[in-house]
Amino acid sequence: MSKQQNKSIDPVIIAALGVALIATGLILSVVNSNEQSLNLNADSGAWSQLVLAFITGITTGGLSCLAVQGGLLASSLAHQIEQDYVEQTAHKKQKVAVRSNSAFPIFLFLVAKMVAYTLLGALLGWLGSYLTLSPMTRAMLMIAIGIFMIGNALRMFNVHPIFRYFSIEPPKFITRYIRRTAKGTDTATPLFLGALTVFIPCGVTQAMMATALGTGSAILGAALMFAFTLGTSPVFFIVAYLTTELGSRLEKFFMRFVAVLVLILGFVTLDGGLNVLGSPLSLQNLTRNLYPSNSGSASVADSPQTTFPAGELVLSVNNDGYFPRTLKAPANVAFKLNLITNQTYSCARDFVIPALDYYELLPDTGTVQVNIPAQKSGSTLFFTCSMGMYTGQIVFE
Amino acid sequence: MIKKIFKIPDMTCSACAMKLESLEDTLDGVKEINASYHRLEMVIEYDESIITDQQIVAAVKKKGYQAIEA
Repeated sequence: MSKQQNKSIDPVIIAALGVALIATGLILSVVNSNEQSLNLNADSGAWSQLVLAFITGITTGGLSCLAVQGGLLASSLAHQIEQDYVEQTAHKKQKVAVRSNSAFPIFLFLVAKMVAYTLLGALLGWLGSYLTLSPMTRAMLMIAIGIFMIGNALRMFNVHPIFRYFSIEPPKFITRYIRRTAKGTDTATPLFLGALTVFIPCGVTQAMMATALGTGSAILGAALMFAFTLGTSPVFFIVAYLTTELGSRLEKFFMRFVAVLVLILGFVTLDGGLNVLGSPLSLQNLTRNLYPSNSGSASVADSPQTTFPAGELVLSVNNDGYFPRTLKAPANVAFKLNLITNQTYSCARDFVIPALDYYELLPDTGTVQVNIPAQKSGSTLFFTCSMGMYTGQIVFE
Repeated sequence: MIKKIFKIPDMTCSACAMKLESLEDTLDGVKEINASYHRLEMVIEYDESIITDQQIVAAVKKKGYQAIEA
């Protein structure tokens, strides 16, 4: 079956656009490092969220999405590759070399994906203005996402047929509709399939979707998903371009590499979920007491008495986590915990004490007081950021 | 019209199923193809007076997969 080849954009131009996307990423990263000098103040929370979303996309999201959505991209490329094959076969007789042009469908796929996710972000943000995700819901979501990612990685390693069920098969009526609608055009297939990726978000994307939901704003939700999808694009583009251009042997190597990363990310997400749940079984909570650090613990008596009344505890909420990571408090006595932020823009600001069902988005600079009720001797209260990245504990003795 | 199941052991993701299903648009005599990555199989409904099993296996091979009659 032969079809007329439409005029396509030179792959070099598309590759240049890929590089431009990376450059945008680097600029955003630099802007982030100079955030304080930009004096964004009131908007800095939203701005740092966007930069974090972009960095998440460029570091982990791209590979994770590729693992889950790579199939759809391959589908969109199949049409283009088929055309290249037909054209190359035709030109072989005339001994003329034809360059493959898989970059164009990848580009279209990513543009459609970005538009679709931005719209999805707006929808989620709008929905989020009516809903509030509790830390418990968020924890369960993270655990589910972690299990999904681990299952997907094990599927890629072909560990057991059961793991094939971790791959979501788009409904037949959707694939059939897209295939038939896209028939006869060069651009429709990758555009449609790119937009379709909203139905099969990868684990990291799902976490970002939860964050977009949590913004409670259509504009911020859209901006967050756009920043994240933009971040995933360079990695997605480069890996997809290289694998389609350099053949199946390299693709197998990349898929193994992606599987390892997705497996690690899966465990990290699962561990984060356990942290937000306040479980002592999370890796951070299990290892903290195995490797105690003197600099990482303080008791009520150690708190700075000049600033806070006796019997109160102080916890510094920094960009790189909580200090001290272990607080010691007397048992059977209620006390106040002072959370101090000083130009803190990381997710450490989203402070959670799961056992007390306490959640607070702290100001970037200031002090917030938490009333801690009396606890039994020997018990431990775990605290964490809402992403489960930064953790700590209060030990009652 | 008959319906047959072919095992496709080398499918690696759900996109493979989509690629195989696209054969229903190009193969004369094929009414419907339902491929599943989960079951590593393809259910094909076709007119045996128009297309043979061998032609189906060859078309699947051209897509990059091995088809084995179940």
